[in-house]
Amino acid sequence: MIVRRFIVPVLAATLVVGACKKDPPPPPAPPMVDQDSLRAYQDSVRRAQEAEAERQRQADMERQREAERLRAMAAVRATLEEAIYFDYDESQLRADAQDLLRRKVDILRASPQVQLRIEGHADERGSTEYNLALGNRRAESVRQFLTGFGLSAARFNITSYGEERPQVRASNESAWARNRRAEFAITAGANAINSPN
Amino acid sequence: MRSGGTTRAALAALVVGVGLAGAVTPGAAQQRDSIPGVTLGLTYETATQPALALQPFTGRLGGAALAPQVEAIIGRDLRYSDRFTVMDSLPATLTGGGAGVDYRLWDGLGASWLVTGQVEGAGNEMVLVLELHNVVYSQIAERGRFFLPSPRSPDFRMAVHRVSDQIVEWATGDPGMAASRIAFSMLDSDGNKDIWLIDSDGENLSRVTDNNDISLSPTWHPSGEKIAYMTYVDGYQRIVERNLATGAQKELPSVRGGGYITPAYHPDGQTLAFSVSGGTRSGIFTYNIDRDCCLAQLSSGPGYDDLSPTFSPDGQWVAFNTNRFGSAVPQVMVMPAQGGSAQTLSPYSFGRGGYFSAPDWAPVGGLVAFHGAIRRGTYHILVADMKDGGRRLRQLTWEGNNEDPSWAPDGRHLVFVGERRWGFGLLVVDVVTGRTRTLLGSRQVNVPAWSPTLPASR
Repeated sequence: MIVRRFIVPVLAATLVVGACKKDPPPPPAPPMVDQDSLRAYQDSVRRAQEAEAERQRQADMERQREAERLRAMAAVRATLEEAIYFDYDESQLRADAQDLLRRKVDILRASPQVQLRIEGHADERGSTEYNLALGNRRAESVRQFLTGFGLSAARFNITSYGEERPQVRASNESAWARNRRAEFAITAGANAINSPN
Repeated sequence: MRSGGTTRAALAALVVGVGLAGAVTPGAAQQRDSIPGVTLGLTYETATQPALALQPFTGRLGGAALAPQVEAIIGRDLRYSDRFTVMDSLPATLTGGGAGVDYRLWDGLGASWLVTGQVEGAGNEMVLVLELHNVVYSQIAERGRFFLPSPRSPDFRMAVHRVSDQIVEWATGDPGMAASRIAFSMLDSDGNKDIWLIDSDGENLSRVTDNNDISLSPTWHPSGEKIAYMTYVDGYQRIVERNLATGAQKELPSVRGGGYITPAYHPDGQTLAFSVSGGTRSGIFTYNIDRDCCLAQLSSGPGYDDLSPTFSPDGQWVAFNTNRFGSAVPQVMVMPAQGGSAQTLSPYSFGRGGYFSAPDWAPVGGLVAFHGAIRRGTYHILVADMKDGGRRLRQLTWEGNNEDPSWAPDGRHLVFVGERRWGFGLLVVDVVTGRTRTLLGSRQVNVPAWSPTLPASR
């Protein structure tokens, strides 16, 4: 309908130009322009455009919310997996380690399906076998700390790699400090991690 | 221990610290902080050793080509036994070149013993006819015929090593250690560690396990046919027994929570002692892996670890490592093989500590070796004599870092991990003379375990 409005004068001009060439058919009656239906049509177009824009906006927000959720989840997961560090030949938990473990406790409470393997590690000093035991002792003291908050002991398994899997392969104090640690591997419920809030 | 013909004399007695050490029980330790009269020192026996000469071996019926090779293996074994001044590879112009023995010639060269050998036969039927002569008395002391497999056989060198051990036993009355291997753990470029073997003379380096993981703490079955070691199963520490000939493996069942580490065979060949570490009841356990029964707990935490058990040769005692006096002061203790009250063997003194670890009980001779921090941060190989309850320690290494000693079947050689300027390696020290040689250099090696004397393969 809208197209015909523009076509009408064009057709008329064509008729004038070609009039002398052959007998033209009689021109069709000019259409009647109905102002009400035109307005209704224009309104419906506008509404459709607005609805589409709104849908886009909602989708964008949804995408953003999902991205944020994933980011938050990754952060929660990273907190859960973040290593803690120990002093030389010690299995006692340092204050910074305890702070991090409390944040893990909050996450673990909100995520009851999650299970962890706690891996104790040692620096290269001391005997190979003694360090295997030291790693176990470190892992065990982490488990004790976590279960002390009422978390089920069945959710944690412990192991030790002694001095065998260093984070940094070097023989100096800063490497040793990085190697005296407990690592955390999620063994169950990796898709059911919930933020504590 | 007899050491044939040598006069025992203290070559050097370096007293490092009188009163540093004390073999005391934990209770007594709290009341006094040192035991006077305990010394940490070095006592080597005389360097004078009988000269043993090898007359160039001869061959008959096709054995001639092999004779020099057999002679070379035996000559080196006898040198590595550290019991003789070995005279070998002598030119024929000096020895006369014949098969006959000119005792006056050997006496003139200063030899007390002379070994002559003849390799007979070819292919798969070879016999070494060997004689040990007492040059001083101008007579044959011992004679033996030894079957040798084909030189292409993997058992060829071991068969020759058994001959070397026989010569040592003839001449000294003591067991040798040539027919043996050392199992150890070695790091590869992927960060994994597997169990490897090497012969006592540094030949035949070979891989046993090929796990994409860490394997540690090999221990030898008394038959020499099996080893047990710690590895990871689904990320957890487990003990696996492996038959070296067939490759058949058996996992020790893990009925209690915790890591299963540091296995050691009882001399009965059925019982494995090990540590369960980090679980709810940490400590040393035994289990009969042959009959799959009889789990027993010898010692227990909580709050500390007992690990690295090692049995006395009569099976009555266990030496082990413990940190029950504190986390930074591990000590070596001895308890009955059924468990019970333990005595310190390393020189613990209350409040002063010290770091002593990785004990190994000698199969003969009553010595227990371990390593300890003499000065802060450097570790050395130490030997305690059970006869005096460890009150006298001998230090066997003086440079670099030294860890994880393990006894040879002769009870006088130790293999250990040495860290030197050139890197890490397996070193062998003779506790009598203090002589040290490199068994395997410049490799990332751990936790060596010396086998018993290996039997001929069937």
